[in-house]
Amino acid sequence: MLQPKLKSKVRCTDLDIGEVSKVVLDPLSHEISHIVVSMNGSGERQIDMTQVQDVTDDLVHLKSPSREILALPPFKRDDYVTTHEVEISHLEDNIHVTPGEVLVPLPDLEKSVKRRTFFMNFTHVIGFLIGLPIAYPILRFLMKPMYAEFDNQWLAVGNVSKIKNEDVGVQFEYKKKVKEAYMPEYEVEKNVWLVRATPDLLEKVYQGKDEEFRDAKGYVIWTNKKEIPFIAFSGKCPHLGCAFKWRNHKALGPVFLCPCHLSIYNAAGKVLDGPAPRALDPLPVRVSASGEVEIIDMEFKAGTKSQIRIV
Amino acid sequence: MDIKHSSPAVIPDHQPSAIEKLVAFLDERVGLKEMQAKMLNEPIPGGSRWAYVFGSILLFIFAMQALTGVLLMFYYVPTADHAYDSTQYIIHDVDYGWFLLSYHFWGSSAMVVCVVAHMSQVFLWGAYKKPRELLWLVGLALFGIVITFGFTGYLLPWDQRAFWATTVGVEILDKTPVIGDFIARFLKGGPTPGQMTLSRFFVLHVMILPAALMALAGLHLFLFRVAAPAGPYSGTKEEIKAKTDYFFPRQIWKDMVGMAFVFVGTCVLALWEPVVLLDQAAPDPGDYHPEPEWYFLFYFQLLRLKIFSGEFGQFLGAVALPVLFMILLVALPFFDKDPERNIFKRPIALISWIAIMVVIVLFTVASVINREFLD
Repeated sequence: MLQPKLKSKVRCTDLDIGEVSKVVLDPLSHEISHIVVSMNGSGERQIDMTQVQDVTDDLVHLKSPSREILALPPFKRDDYVTTHEVEISHLEDNIHVTPGEVLVPLPDLEKSVKRRTFFMNFTHVIGFLIGLPIAYPILRFLMKPMYAEFDNQWLAVGNVSKIKNEDVGVQFEYKKKVKEAYMPEYEVEKNVWLVRATPDLLEKVYQGKDEEFRDAKGYVIWTNKKEIPFIAFSGKCPHLGCAFKWRNHKALGPVFLCPCHLSIYNAAGKVLDGPAPRALDPLPVRVSASGEVEIIDMEFKAGTKSQIRIV
Repeated sequence: MDIKHSSPAVIPDHQPSAIEKLVAFLDERVGLKEMQAKMLNEPIPGGSRWAYVFGSILLFIFAMQALTGVLLMFYYVPTADHAYDSTQYIIHDVDYGWFLLSYHFWGSSAMVVCVVAHMSQVFLWGAYKKPRELLWLVGLALFGIVITFGFTGYLLPWDQRAFWATTVGVEILDKTPVIGDFIARFLKGGPTPGQMTLSRFFVLHVMILPAALMALAGLHLFLFRVAAPAGPYSGTKEEIKAKTDYFFPRQIWKDMVGMAFVFVGTCVLALWEPVVLLDQAAPDPGDYHPEPEWYFLFYFQLLRLKIFSGEFGQFLGAVALPVLFMILLVALPFFDKDPERNIFKRPIALISWIAIMVVIVLFTVASVINREFLD
C-alpha cells in the first residue's frame, strides 16, 4: 500500500503542482483512498490513489499531467469530518503518514527504575493480602442465617371432628410462631393435610411398619404407629415446593393435585401422575382423647427421591 | 499526520450569548463537542434500520426502571412485616403510586421482550460472529442480569404471587448438583423464605444488579464501538457504502420512535392493568394457584412434562436444559465460524430460532389453557 506523507511534493508527468495537505481514509477498508493536494495558490484538489504512480520519502508521482489535475473540481472540505469527529475504530491502524514519531521525554526519576516487574508483582501481592483476610469474613457474614436448628415442637392444628369421611384429604390450617433473627416474633399461616384412613389405606401408607422420625443427631423423636388411623401430610409438594389441594380428577377420582406442575397423589400420598419424584411427606402426628390433633411441623427438600429434612 | 482540522478562525457575527459562553467554557475543558461528534457520527454500514432500535430501547427502559425504582424506594420498606403494607400504601395512598409501581412492573416485561428481540436480531443478522464474539458474550451476561432482575423484583411486594414464585424458583436452583443446597440456602438466607430472603433479594435488586448492569452495559457499548456495527447481511461493498449514514440523525430518529412506542405501550398497560396485590405472603396459599410471571410460563409448563419427572428428570429440566441452552449460546460464535451472515443461507440457525420461538409460544399458550382445568 502506498503511504503518501503530508507535506510531500506532488509531481505530475510534466511538473510539480503542489504538496499533500490532507489524506482521505476509506471508512470501510481503512486505507488511504485519496490525497488532497494544495496547488500553490490555486486551491486544493482531491486525487484518487489510483492516479498515484509512486511514492517516495518526500515525493508523490502522479500518472497524469498537471492540466488534468487542474481540471478537477475544487476540494470540498465540508464533505469530510476529521478522525477526531467520527467514531470508526481502527481507522488509523494502517496509516503511517506522520512525518516522524511524536515524542515526550521520560521523567528523570523514571529513567533508572530497574525493578518494574518486582513493583508490578508487589502491587498484586498487596492486593491479595488485602483481599484474602476479608474474603472469609464476607463469606461467613453472608452465611450467618443459612443453617438453623430443627424445631421439634408439637403444634395444635385442630380437631378431628372436622374430618367427615375416610380416605379423604382434609386441610388443617394453623399458625406457627416464627422468630427470625432481629425481627419481632410473628405468626405465619401454614397448612397440613389430614386423612382418616381405612385399614386398607393404612397398609398402603405404612406397609406394615411403624414410621420413625429422627432429629439431626439420629435420635428417634416420634414414631407414627401403623395402626393409628390418622395420617398427616406436609402441605409442601415434594416436586418443587408448591402447595397441593384435594381435588376430584376426571379419570383418577379424588386425589391430591398440585396446581403448579400437576403432580397427582392418591390419598395414601403415592404418586399417580406428574413430575413428583417421591410420595407426599407424612409428618409426626398425635391425636388426643378429645380429638385434638398435634403435629411436628417439618419441611423436606423438594425434588429429591429421598426425604431430606430442612426445617 | 496532520489530524487537527485547520479551518480558518470563525469570526462571530454577533456577541456570544451566556449559554454559548458556558458551552465554550465547558468544551475547552471537557472536549464536549468532540465527544458529542464522536457519539453521533458513527457510520452505520448499509444505513439506519428499524431492526437496530432494540439496543437503544433497552437503555431507555433501564433508565425508566431506574427512575421509577428509585421513586418506589421512597416508600417501600424491605421487611417481612412492612413490605406488603408499604407496597399497598404506594398503590392506594401515594399520589400516582399505583401508576409508577405499575409502570415499573410492566417495564420489566418490556425489558424481557426487548432483550429477546435484541438477541434475536443479532442472531438472525449473524452479528455475533467474528470479530463480535465478546460483544455477544457480554450481551448474554446482560440477559442473565435482566432475568435475575425480574426474579428478585418479583418477591419485593411480598404477596402470595411473590412468595410462591420465589419458593419454586429457588427450589429449581436447589436442583443444581453439589452446590444446589448451598445456593438455595444462600439466596433464602435460611431453610425457608423469610425476612432474610427479602433482604437479600432487595439488595440484589436495588444495588448489585443495577451496578452490574451499568458496568456491563458500558462494556457492551464500548465493545460495540470498537467492533463497529455489523451492518446488513447482504449486499456488495459498494451498495452498503452508498447507503451508509451516521448514527445521527436517521438511526436516532428511529430509536426515538421506538422508545416513544415502548413508553406509550408501558403506560397503556399500567393504566389498563395496574398492579393489584394478592394476600400477604404466607406458606399457605389458600385458593391461589402459584404461577410465575408470563415470560416464565413456557418454562413452568415445560417442567410439567413427563420427561422431567422424578429426581433425574428434574435435574434435566431444572438444571441441565437451561444450562445447556446457555452454554450453547456462549459457544455459538466459537463453533459457528462460517463468515456467512445471511440468515437465508444459514438453514440450521433459522430453523433453530423458529423452533425455539414456536416452543416458547406453544408452551405459554398451553400453560394458559391449563389454568381453567385447575379450578
